[in-house]
Amino acid sequence: MSVMNRKRALISDTFKVNKRRVGNGKQFGAVNNGEAGPLDVKATLQDLMTLFPRKLFNDALPQIVLKHQLYSVHNDRTQVDRQLSDLREQGELLMFQLGFDAEAFGLVFAADYKTKVLAGEEGRGTRGTVEKFMDKVLPSCNDMSFNKDKMLKEFLFTDSEITQLVKSGVLTVRDAGSWWLSIPNSGRFTKYLIQGRKAVLGMVKKSKYNEVLKAELEERQTNSQVKFQIKYHIHDIIGAELVECIPTTSGTLLRCVDY
Amino acid sequence: MLGFLTARQAGLDDPLRLRRAESTRRVLNLELNHDRDVDRIHSNGINTIDIEVIEGRYMLSGGADGVVVVYDLENNSRKSQYTCKAVGTVGRSSRYAHRFSVETVQWYPHDTGMFVSSSFDKTMKVWDTETLKPAEVFQFEGNVYCHHMSPIARKHSLIAVGTKDQKVQLCDLKSGSRIQVLQGHRGEVLSVRWSPRYEHILATASTDSRVLVWDVRRASGSLFSLDQHNGDKSKASSEAVNTAHNGRVNGLCFTVDGLYLLTMGTDDRMRLWNSANGKNTLVNYGKVSNESRKGLKITVSRSCSPEFVFVPCGSSVAVYTLHTGELVTMLRGHYNNVDCCQFHPDYQELYSGGKDCNILAWVPAVRPPDVEEEGTAAKGGSQATGNPAFEDAWSSDED
Repeated sequence: MSVMNRKRALISDTFKVNKRRVGNGKQFGAVNNGEAGPLDVKATLQDLMTLFPRKLFNDALPQIVLKHQLYSVHNDRTQVDRQLSDLREQGELLMFQLGFDAEAFGLVFAADYKTKVLAGEEGRGTRGTVEKFMDKVLPSCNDMSFNKDKMLKEFLFTDSEITQLVKSGVLTVRDAGSWWLSIPNSGRFTKYLIQGRKAVLGMVKKSKYNEVLKAELEERQTNSQVKFQIKYHIHDIIGAELVECIPTTSGTLLRCVDY
Repeated sequence: MLGFLTARQAGLDDPLRLRRAESTRRVLNLELNHDRDVDRIHSNGINTIDIEVIEGRYMLSGGADGVVVVYDLENNSRKSQYTCKAVGTVGRSSRYAHRFSVETVQWYPHDTGMFVSSSFDKTMKVWDTETLKPAEVFQFEGNVYCHHMSPIARKHSLIAVGTKDQKVQLCDLKSGSRIQVLQGHRGEVLSVRWSPRYEHILATASTDSRVLVWDVRRASGSLFSLDQHNGDKSKASSEAVNTAHNGRVNGLCFTVDGLYLLTMGTDDRMRLWNSANGKNTLVNYGKVSNESRKGLKITVSRSCSPEFVFVPCGSSVAVYTLHTGELVTMLRGHYNNVDCCQFHPDYQELYSGGKDCNILAWVPAVRPPDVEEEGTAAKGGSQATGNPAFEDAWSSDED
């Protein structure tokens, strides 16, 4: 009787000659749970967007997905980043600095953003300026922030127009003479996100041994602090690496990380 | 594997291909081996390890107690159970020992007759390995965090020193004096590294979140500063413009060919840079936890495909693929924080030292020999069937 090799050895893909694996061909070590096919970030984005609660904001906000939520679905972060920057170059996707964390970026489809913002501006005096901004600036410029020089010289906006843009919420102040691109009325979104994130993390922390199976967490009832769907928050905490993801025989286990 | 060997034999494959494939397989198989041990001399944490490049036989280690030890890594006994013995120690009893913690040690790159150590007692000492006495002592005004000698330098013998001061000092071994000062940082210099490709290129990392790349032949300032956003000023808040990390930068490592530079910062990120133009290659390694207040020693593998980077991460060593950012495995074995690690390129072994005063050797796991039939089982199977817990004591022999 041969001794069973208890540890599964890591094998580089140069040695995997003929075996055809289900799903992703290139991986070291344990087979992943068949989640990802060839990396398609756009499809994942659309899936995650459906988790966003539109009714909560009375449909005034476009669907927002956080960049690190994609990391919880796909393993290869570098590829995700590359595809995201391709989508941004093509003008399909917009990325925003959400403000509460240097690394938290929100992603919105450009078409969505345009419709929602213009709908919000109906009947307001600032509508004209906002429309001009959308048509002129967004297609040509991929930046997340703008400074005064650029606005005045390149895009030929006047000072009063810039004030109107800030008033309408499309630009928020970054520091003297420069502004972040932002989503109007997204303050409530950020507040609910941080609240919900804290509550879900608290749920994991209170569990025995500070760990809980992902499937079980998804079934749990949420208290009034959590306004979004719990799946949205779960993707958020996994992607931001606030919990450790451990593969087990009964599914993925989420364990609190004490830092 | 046999395919590779046959192709090599027939000349269908380049010899390098077999070597790379086997090196990679060995690195992926790294594990703690109970046969290999390193003498335990330090009584306090180990801050730094260096393996000499000429033979790969001797290893230096510097500890928080000011002790520097030289080990012989070669296994001359016929047994597989081997402890790397310390062949020389500059202990607390020596008159010349450092008074406070030794932060960096490095062998002289061209032979093992000399090594240099720098410490928090504000000195850097150049030692003679035979007599273990310092041949030269350089005094500084602040704690010395790190130093580095260029591994390929022929035209100069400069040691770059990073101290609490904002200026990077260059000391000359030949004349024994401090000949140059590089100004440009606005905070303490935590790590310095010469490029293994060009003998005049130096990279320095500091608490002001910036990494500067210098050509020491130029009288004016640095060549360029590494910018994590690649010049895209819109991505960062205004304070973080033109910084390499969002926190202190405390780890620097060039890849073996010198084309890429790795930096580690206290913002829990590791970044890979193209060393020629300073562009961030945007490889995303995820959160690489980094709580160290002083320098962190990371190391890269050599002649593997793909290359790996070994990062001390809490009490384990994390192994990432260099260019894709994938976390391959975590090597767990230390009881306390790991401070330094060093890769032995000839045998694909990793040595890591930490606060638990141990140096652990991670050796590629040996392929277990196939258990043969009854007659030859005794000869071949001594390692595989040695453990009585796995022995089959109940099934009948007719199976």
